[in-house]
Amino acid sequence: MHRHFPVNCFVPPHILKNIATNGTEAQKNLAISTLKTSARMRGQRQALADFQAATFRVAVAGKDRIVYDARNGSNLPGTVVRKEGDGPSGDVAVNEAYDGSGVTYDLYNAVYQRNSIDGNGMRLDSTVHYRTGYDNAFWDGEQMVYGDGDEDQPPEERLFNRFTIALDVIGHELTHGVTQFEAKLQYFQQPGALNESMSDVFGSLVKQYQLKQIASEADWIIGSGLLTENVNGVGIRSMKAPGTAYDDPVLGKDPQPAHMRDYVNTISDNGGVHINSGIPNRAFYITAVELGGFAWERAGQIWYVTLKDKLTANSRFQDCADLTYSTAGELFGAGSLEQQAVKKGWAEVGLTVGTGPTPEPEPGGGCLSALLRLLGAAPAERR
Amino acid sequence: MQVERIKFERTGGFAGMRIATDLKLEDLPEEQAETLVELLDDMDFSELPEQMLDESGPDQFTYTITVETQKWAHTVVTGESSAPEKMQELLQLLNRLARTRRKH
Repeated sequence: MHRHFPVNCFVPPHILKNIATNGTEAQKNLAISTLKTSARMRGQRQALADFQAATFRVAVAGKDRIVYDARNGSNLPGTVVRKEGDGPSGDVAVNEAYDGSGVTYDLYNAVYQRNSIDGNGMRLDSTVHYRTGYDNAFWDGEQMVYGDGDEDQPPEERLFNRFTIALDVIGHELTHGVTQFEAKLQYFQQPGALNESMSDVFGSLVKQYQLKQIASEADWIIGSGLLTENVNGVGIRSMKAPGTAYDDPVLGKDPQPAHMRDYVNTISDNGGVHINSGIPNRAFYITAVELGGFAWERAGQIWYVTLKDKLTANSRFQDCADLTYSTAGELFGAGSLEQQAVKKGWAEVGLTVGTGPTPEPEPGGGCLSALLRLLGAAPAERR
Repeated sequence: MQVERIKFERTGGFAGMRIATDLKLEDLPEEQAETLVELLDDMDFSELPEQMLDESGPDQFTYTITVETQKWAHTVVTGESSAPEKMQELLQLLNRLARTRRKH
């Protein structure tokens, strides 16, 4: 069915492109027609050309992954062990890195219309079995790197499993790549904690997307399965309840604050980037649960656009709060449920946004809600 | 040089957990103490700049190492990728000692 409807308000083109790529046939036609109409209306021939080029690129250059094996050494990237399209390896870490980077690619591509880390089809390189007894994973500016935990210790002494075991860790590392190409948040103090939080947010969303979980069903744990049974803990961080992920005689207690009043001033850990990220993490969790449904849809969209278009290298928590709030207004309408949820998320961690005069809600909700309802995909129906 | 004591701290990393150890060389097995002293000699530890931390990549570890002799004490802060190659073996060994002694 090919329907036309008036779009009298601004719907961000990337949302339309998203629908054009991932919607049903009818939704696609509708979105493409709207894109063409609005591009013509504004005389944006270039925008139209870009859109057509972009969809063509996505069609020809999709995800491209390589997994390397460092064979316990420290030379990167190591030896190629699995390339895009190859069947499973006999090595579980190789398969986890391959599959995990694939799901991460899929979330960014399908939901946020982003073709890989750089938005331009960049190949996703992962190295597994890095060093010996390496209880860490990191993004080195060009690729993901995973250790095997403390596999060199006797079983009864081991605290960490291999780092590919948790899908959200893979999404976390890849998101450091996205941040490097977008907001470029410097890795120190509050901008660094926001960098970390963005990685946790999208890492958790990758896992929720894979499991098709709505916000209230998700565990909101970062690194579930990473700690061995010798440790008293459920993971490395809890976005739902920062500071409660582990409490163990050997590892100590999860140091994350859940509120600005408990912000940790430290020079360790690049100024507490893995510590204070608990504050923005919880703000996202509250926003997502407040909205209900799939967290990657509305809450994720607000955070993604903020990361891509709003945050800058020196942004601090208050900036992120203000910018997610204004972005929610742009995407869903001033005073929309979405914007109210963002406000509540930050309020619960001690940050106030939108103190100016409260705008009247648009009749019938924001632009995007109106469009989604027309497309038969109103978020309200997904709760 | 007569190294008496090595203090080691690792912070950062994906988990953001701190591990540290304070080693008095006279308390270590002789072979281990000799290896540590050799590694420190090889890299001319006392000549290393105090600050070797460059723009470290996300989730990488930061190391702080202090070496004490009777005559001097020297502290070096470094990241994983910014540490000179000849320092990697020392970092690995200190990491291992800190991890196995975490319980004690």
